[in-house]
Amino acid sequence: MKIGIPRALLYYKYEKFWTTFFDQAGIEYVLSPVTTKDIVTRGESLAIDEACLPTKILLGHIDWLIDKCDYVFLPRVEYAYRAQMCTKFLAQIDLVRNTFRDRKIQLLFYNCFKKGPRAEFKAFKKMGKFLGLKNAVIKDAYTKARQAQQYFEMFRSQHQLEVLKETKKNKVLVVAHAYNIGDKFIGEPILRTLRQLNCEPILAEYFDAYECIHQAHEISKTLPWGYNQHLVGAIAKYRDDVDGIVILTTFPCGPDSMVNEMITRKVKDKPILVLTMDTQDGTAGLETRLESYVDILNFKKEHRNG
Amino acid sequence: MKKGYIGIDIGSISTKGVVVDSNKKIVASDYLWTEGDPMNAVKRLLKSLEKQIKGKDIQVVGVGTTGSARKLIGAVTNASVVKNEITAHAIGTTTLYPDVNTIFEIGGQDSKIIIIENGYVVDYAMNTLCAAGTGSFLSSQAHRLGVSVEEFGSIALTSKQPTNIAARCTVFAESDLVHKAQMGHKKEDIIAGLCKAVVSNYLNNVGKGKRIKAPIVFQGGVSKNIGVKKAFEDQVGCEITVDANGHLMGAFGVAILAQKSGIERTFDFNITALDFKTKGFECPKCANHCEIMCVYRDNRLIDSWGNKCDNGAIRVN
Repeated sequence: MKIGIPRALLYYKYEKFWTTFFDQAGIEYVLSPVTTKDIVTRGESLAIDEACLPTKILLGHIDWLIDKCDYVFLPRVEYAYRAQMCTKFLAQIDLVRNTFRDRKIQLLFYNCFKKGPRAEFKAFKKMGKFLGLKNAVIKDAYTKARQAQQYFEMFRSQHQLEVLKETKKNKVLVVAHAYNIGDKFIGEPILRTLRQLNCEPILAEYFDAYECIHQAHEISKTLPWGYNQHLVGAIAKYRDDVDGIVILTTFPCGPDSMVNEMITRKVKDKPILVLTMDTQDGTAGLETRLESYVDILNFKKEHRNG
Repeated sequence: MKKGYIGIDIGSISTKGVVVDSNKKIVASDYLWTEGDPMNAVKRLLKSLEKQIKGKDIQVVGVGTTGSARKLIGAVTNASVVKNEITAHAIGTTTLYPDVNTIFEIGGQDSKIIIIENGYVVDYAMNTLCAAGTGSFLSSQAHRLGVSVEEFGSIALTSKQPTNIAARCTVFAESDLVHKAQMGHKKEDIIAGLCKAVVSNYLNNVGKGKRIKAPIVFQGGVSKNIGVKKAFEDQVGCEITVDANGHLMGAFGVAILAQKSGIERTFDFNITALDFKTKGFECPKCANHCEIMCVYRDNRLIDSWGNKCDNGAIRVN
């Protein structure tokens, strides 16, 4: 039996967790490639117009996987960091199942509707049973997978803190969801352009989630979505350490459309650039916007240094 | 012999060029339509500039390019500076108006607002994809109403009661305009209403949440439209400056940046006689299908861009 993991949405959150679990449990899997224009185009034609870009990309990845594996792995998760997630994470299984109904898609998933690690383990146990795994194997694989993910995130955030401290370049806090900034099609052109402009992109996503959420209330006390709490918290915690903030969002993201507006109204002490990505090709508009933005950062520095 | 610097601003609709001397004075300038062919437009522009500085004892030692075709023309003219429009406009305007605080800029495709503090750019905003096309929108509507763009503004000023036109989106504005015309509204009222709609659209989209503070300078192609200028003054509530050279500000700014760059190389106007070609193709090397653009001078490749990864990189000798 072979499992297909789409390189989209939650993969960018749980990369180490999932792959370690399947590795430890001895389950063979195939990972879809990094997002290409072909995948985006395919996803676009499968999705309804109103779906958000990351959802379209997910469908493109599943389209790539469907003939290359027995089961497509796609979990259903309701909570992130003990807070609500965007509804697309709850709906994705049904969406995918209906979109690919004619092609007889087989889905493998775990359902997690409760908060906390116990609920997650239970969900994994259920999925493991379905895969024919023994209890002890599931428990062992789950523990190792959790640990791997934890270390991965810890090292990532520590490394970024070191960079933040040592770099002499313009530091730009890039505020974007993991599945946007990690995606080769959406996030990569922005990181590359920033580096070409001699800036150090600092990813809000890479900072420790709970530490950030702890401080998110400084900007908003009533923010419902867990992932957005993380990002907003990163702004609250690190705004004094960076030169500017770039918010990257995809069209038409519901939560972001409200949260970004709130950020631009409440955070006034740093230059903020909001970039909205859609399937448009061509980086001209993007380059012009980032270039002018970095010019502003440089002007400010010049001005400060006399 | 005096030193001169060329600034070229190649927009989607029009191509602007200036020659400034070392005292930052414009000694030659021209403004012409791009007509979808930036290469040709720049050749015509350079010919005109060359004619204007003939006999003035000026040697051009630097070129700067800006505008949406800045890369292409930068490669062709071997420019010392290739800069984005926002910085170019800001530099140009602050050189002429050192105390300016806000710049409104409406061009053919893009509109922007630039916020300046003590002579430095501190913030800017550009239209999102949706609010684009103000200049080209106005000219297509002028055509629909059977008036030329040039007289659009003066007609608007004759209106006593501007018609209300939906300002949210140019698509709605257009259907609203057709509807109002069929209802029997006067042409000058509709035109004045359209100017108002463009301004409220601009202030609600591009200028949303920005600190708008006098002195304000309004530029870009649309600033030539006196009706839009008046609508701006009515809505912002203070006087707005439109420079006679407002349409040249991007070119002027980038010429100054070329001067500031300190890079000097003698510019030969003969490049207008050379044969430049561009060739675009879709890179077949991976699934991204990048559109790669190559520029050739006399059949020799001089520059290329558009690749997303190293697979598509083309080496220029």
